Amino acid sequence: MMKRISGFILLPLLALCALEQSPAREGKLKIVTTLNYLRYVAQEVGGDRVTVVALANARQDPHYVTPTPAMNQLTSDADLFIENGLSLDIWQKNVVDASGNPAIQPGSPGHLVATVNVPVKELPTEVSRAWGDIHPQGNPHVWLDPLNIRIIAANIAERLKQLDPANSAYYQSRFEQYKGRLDAALFGEELVRALGKSGGDVLVRKALNNELADWLKLRGLEGKLGGWMKEGASLNGLKVISYHKTYIYFADRFGLQLTGELEEKPGIPPPPQHRDAVVEEVKREGIRVILNDNFYSREAADYVASKTGAKVVITYLDVGSLPEVDTYEKLITFLIQNISQAAR
Amino acid sequence: MWSKTMLLVCLTFLFTLAGRAQESESSKDRIIEDLRGEVARLRHDIDSLKSLRHSDLLTQSDMLDRLEESLEKRLTYLETKIDAVSRATAPVAFNPGMTAFINFAARGDSKKVYDLADPANEISNRPFLRTVEMELLGAVDPYASAVAVISLENQAGKEFGVDAEEAYGLLKRIPLLEDAPLGMKVKIGKYRAPFGVSNKIHMHDLPWTTRPLAVARYLGTEHGDFFESGFNPTGMDLNFYVPNPIPQTTMEMNLDVVRAGELTLSGGRGGSQPAYIGHLNLSRDWSNQHLLILGLSAYEEHGIAITRLYGADITYKWAPLEERESHSFVAGGEVFAGRHLFTDSAAAVSSNSPVGWYGYLQYQTSYWLYLGLRYDWVEEPSNDRLVTRSAGGYASYYTTEFLRLRLGFEHRWSDIPVQNNVNTVLFEINLVFGSHPTEPYWVNK
Repeated sequence: MMKRISGFILLPLLALCALEQSPAREGKLKIVTTLNYLRYVAQEVGGDRVTVVALANARQDPHYVTPTPAMNQLTSDADLFIENGLSLDIWQKNVVDASGNPAIQPGSPGHLVATVNVPVKELPTEVSRAWGDIHPQGNPHVWLDPLNIRIIAANIAERLKQLDPANSAYYQSRFEQYKGRLDAALFGEELVRALGKSGGDVLVRKALNNELADWLKLRGLEGKLGGWMKEGASLNGLKVISYHKTYIYFADRFGLQLTGELEEKPGIPPPPQHRDAVVEEVKREGIRVILNDNFYSREAADYVASKTGAKVVITYLDVGSLPEVDTYEKLITFLIQNISQAAR
Repeated sequence: MWSKTMLLVCLTFLFTLAGRAQESESSKDRIIEDLRGEVARLRHDIDSLKSLRHSDLLTQSDMLDRLEESLEKRLTYLETKIDAVSRATAPVAFNPGMTAFINFAARGDSKKVYDLADPANEISNRPFLRTVEMELLGAVDPYASAVAVISLENQAGKEFGVDAEEAYGLLKRIPLLEDAPLGMKVKIGKYRAPFGVSNKIHMHDLPWTTRPLAVARYLGTEHGDFFESGFNPTGMDLNFYVPNPIPQTTMEMNLDVVRAGELTLSGGRGGSQPAYIGHLNLSRDWSNQHLLILGLSAYEEHGIAITRLYGADITYKWAPLEERESHSFVAGGEVFAGRHLFTDSAAAVSSNSPVGWYGYLQYQTSYWLYLGLRYDWVEEPSNDRLVTRSAGGYASYYTTEFLRLRLGFEHRWSDIPVQNNVNTVLFEINLVFGSHPTEPYWVNK
């Protein structure tokens, strides 16, 4: 009897333990991220000392990704797992649980919630399913504000330094370089360079406090402003409707006025009577643009557009969702340009 | 009496947790309020400084900038702290996630239908509160989690029975090993056995109102496929990834040692010997749009009788990347072949070798509506010459994933006269409330 039990349990165990876990990664840290923008930022910070792979397809709704056995196995030998957090990619819990990888369990250094320290908007005062599919920790679409990407990149850099202290200086240097590129993309290279070493940090503080324009004017630097802040000026004050509460961070950064959503309750498709209410609102407010994320049905947006003459802009949220949007910087440029164009 | 006591204990536990959660929430609110007050005071100070900049009192703005910078740093720190406190769940983090499931179903039949366990107990043409389940799940420590699913199950209209439908610990790190080679995990306790596909799914997650006949007949049932059934033995499960040469595929293995005699096919002749389960899964995922899963299962028990059950399963799922919430297609099926050898008397040995299978299709037409078909064919476990077949269709309407209404129709043919030529209309409501997580491989997703 005992022979049968030991044979059944021990032989496969011994055989499996003798097998190599995975092909050698030449000393690189293996990072698995839930979303593709996290993959991009982790790769920018980690450089050639890391391999990074994202689980979700960039065209998918990040709320509803179906965990598959392939994802679980991909994660089973990861050194670092990065999630967006804020109850957006909650499906990651199934992947992390099923991975059988102790190194990436929540609370371990190998598990990073990328949005820690990001100032979150729309924290609900009441958490109930009666409000629809709300996020108890606030609106999770934080990455659409480039200033938050700075914080996310810093979080990733800190965690890489902790996991791989031998390459600490390398990660810090990569982070500084990426931060510089982000600042240049946001404010224009000329302006950042004109302000010297910590120019980006100063500009970020001014932008966070909504006093950038005054500050630049006081110093006679307003002509040097470039990048997204200049390009996005055309969005300032533009009233738009969005399908879901996806753009609150993007809107706050570039001055868009979000007047409402096609969804009556988050996560639930708009019922017909709500569409009619939106039609009235669009007419009343003179709204010309409807933002519809690529993964949501555009039926409701088309209905409202047909009754009001507003334009529907199909928007993309993640890096890699289109061949031409293969970097975070191109994603933000794409959003600014497409919304501006629709508003003309 | 026992079930009432259990219910009372569960409710007391829940109220206690709810009370604690409220207390911690109010203390968190106070901390956030204090921090926000400090932020407001600092913001006021900065604004005062800014107004000085424009006055004649101070023209040297560099000094102001430095002062402003230091205040901004303090502000950033405080705002970060507010964010951290807002997210903090520390006071309630030790509470398990809790979810309640209520499943109500009614049936209308063209002839009298009886409880399998009690041929005198008629179950046709009446409504049933089939199950009330309380699911608790959470982390035990950094390396293990635990799940307890306490279920009040309808005993075919007679009474409710309390059952630990599942109660297990999941060790994510093998004891004595620093690592978990091949993603090994060990499950210990009572759990839905990894035999095939639908046996692992709880009744409230099934895409049909009834269990497939083969699952109910061979794996586990007391009162028939209309009531909670399936095989949830007590034992230990080892799960790991198997390196395989087929590119872009994932192979997973489950090996289990469980208490014998709990499988319906074994007819309670378990004895003191353990039983063994093996399950091998091969899956391929195409860009998170198409998923194909093939599985093989085996059960063996050498108790008072010898019982073997083999299974093969196939599941194909399609969901587009865009408008994924509104369209999907699932097709699948399982086939089972059993062998049960037992001693009739001192000299005679009898055997049964029943075979059964089912296949189904489901198409999602919109966010709310799913339409499906299922066909079942099964030989009776106690007499493999008797065959029962059924064919049915259903429509499931979801307001959200937490509330489902389902209407179905089934026709049944059987060599057992009392079960033959029955038309049944099925109506079901399923309510889920609490912190139910996303379901892996959930058939509707």
